[in-house]
Amino acid sequence: MSPKKKRLRLLSILLLLLIAGIYVSLVKGSVRTGFAELWNFLVHNDQTHAQIFIHLRLSRALLALLVGASLSLSGAILQGYFQNPMAGPFVVGVSSGASFGAVLALILGLNMSYWGFSVQNVFAFCSGFAIVSLVYLLSQKKGVFKLETLLLTGIAAGALASSLTSFLIFFKSESFEQAVFWLLGSFHLADWNHIRVIFPYFIFCFFISQWLAKDMNLLVMGDETAQSLGCSVNRTRKIFLVLSTLLASSSVSVSGIIGFVGLIVPHWVRLLIGPDHRYLFFASSLMGGVFLMFCDLLARTILTGSELPIGIITAAVGAPFFIYLLNQRR
Amino acid sequence: MKRITKYAAPVICLLLALNLPTPGSQNPTIMDDLGNMHVLGNPPQRIISLAPNVTEILFALGLEKNIVGVTRFCNYPKKAQTKTRIGGLVDPDLEKIVDLRPDLIIAFRGNPLRLVKRLKDLKLPVFVLESGTTLESVFDLVDKIGLVTRREKAAEDLIGVLHGTLERVAGTLTNVNTRPKVFLNLHGKGLWTCGKTGFLNDLVMKAKGVNIAGNVARAWFTYNREELIHQNPEFIVVITKSKSDFQGVKEWFTEAAHLERVKAVRQKNIFFLDEDLVTRPGPRIFKAVDQLARILHPSSFKDGK
Repeated sequence: MSPKKKRLRLLSILLLLLIAGIYVSLVKGSVRTGFAELWNFLVHNDQTHAQIFIHLRLSRALLALLVGASLSLSGAILQGYFQNPMAGPFVVGVSSGASFGAVLALILGLNMSYWGFSVQNVFAFCSGFAIVSLVYLLSQKKGVFKLETLLLTGIAAGALASSLTSFLIFFKSESFEQAVFWLLGSFHLADWNHIRVIFPYFIFCFFISQWLAKDMNLLVMGDETAQSLGCSVNRTRKIFLVLSTLLASSSVSVSGIIGFVGLIVPHWVRLLIGPDHRYLFFASSLMGGVFLMFCDLLARTILTGSELPIGIITAAVGAPFFIYLLNQRR
Repeated sequence: MKRITKYAAPVICLLLALNLPTPGSQNPTIMDDLGNMHVLGNPPQRIISLAPNVTEILFALGLEKNIVGVTRFCNYPKKAQTKTRIGGLVDPDLEKIVDLRPDLIIAFRGNPLRLVKRLKDLKLPVFVLESGTTLESVFDLVDKIGLVTRREKAAEDLIGVLHGTLERVAGTLTNVNTRPKVFLNLHGKGLWTCGKTGFLNDLVMKAKGVNIAGNVARAWFTYNREELIHQNPEFIVVITKSKSDFQGVKEWFTEAAHLERVKAVRQKNIFFLDEDLVTRPGPRIFKAVDQLARILHPSSFKDGK
């Protein structure tokens, strides 16, 4: 099959899944509703379940979609950036770093926001950025990234950030719920405000990365080659690092840490349509969104009477995949 | 608690400074423990309780017919188990809550603030209560729930009865001069306990005992093993869901070699208290005071009191 055909096939499948996912997210839930109720609401303006459809289910599904897309795009960027398929926002520690910043802002009582920029997001971004820079500095030698060093520094830095987060939660809130939210992630309390927070970041980062996708293709060939082909390596690298951190930290500040999405989705997409970043970025975003939307659907419907933290589901899917990848490389 | 005061303080100051009645409304209002004003209209008909102690108070105020939803932990009284379950304290099912169309939701401190905010965003009438550090704070809870459900009289009566229980125990213990050292054990095997800022510290004080963890300024935490040996409590009170759980924990204490010199272990002074009674700041906590007083001072209760 030609690459173009492959891409079209993937695109159409994902769009179908997207529509199906939104529909199922709307009709499935603990309150029994079906096609008839949804139809009545949409066509006959029946308000009985309006709040449940719009403010609970739709907002939650769309937030999962956006967070999944952001994390996967962040992962796709990081994998290109580190020239390494094992990178991802969770693996290199950005998520844990961002989570620490968000919790710190929360505990210091800095919950204000100015012109749509909340202090919490700034904190999340800064500490996520600090972690990823640290990993970057420690894991390269003369511009070459060694896989082991990257993974190990990422894991160490992430663990450090997580332990600091747990420390803050332990001392300040005595609340287990907080710990679960920030360390395992959840869409339980998703609302439209969260969407308003994350949407601008996603759109901004998506267009910039799409615009620079060609340069990413050059970067993957090695810095020297990229330079000789007319790409200003340093500037491009910096921009990509900022983009991936923005994406991951904005996701974390609305939904806590959700692991493995940013790792497995871009990889999966690469297997399906090849490594060209012009398509990889777009396809990863769409696939990540759809994937997380279905994971969240499972998280809230699999048990009756309570919810699974979504991190459990993504990790259950993601961890075996991660191990498989590690094995393949040996 | 700090968080609550942080929210409440500015609101209270503002109200005191202006001393304004709420404009345009003839109905009286009441402030919840987060500092949110709540208009008292007609008695609420569809109440959801987000905590087991709140459920127990609602039942005690005779509101059985008006309760439409409770948490999966609300097991008392028996009839509470027939009510619709809306999930847990931290992860209640928002869809079900919305679907029940409540005209009053009573939340408690075990419910996360983010949850309360989310319920408010959904335009649901939430009334939030904070737990205190003394048993008397339960009177405050009953009083506020009485006001917000328009059962002022029933609340007054209930407080009278509960107050009576406290007085009776205090009366029985008037001539007691010894205050035995007590270690409270919660959550099964291990040394999870209650410190100065948890209300169980007051429970021990009311039963004329000394909580050895009572000098630590935390509510719930794991006690230090060496400190336990050093403090050498005369009683270990094991707070579990059932007698069979209690047996397991008791064995854990008696079989631990490093604890064999602790008085309570040596003298086999390891006793059971029902977790549901003790850990819920509701009407039944006063029964627990009586039970604990009998454990610590059996001689005062000799003549069939």
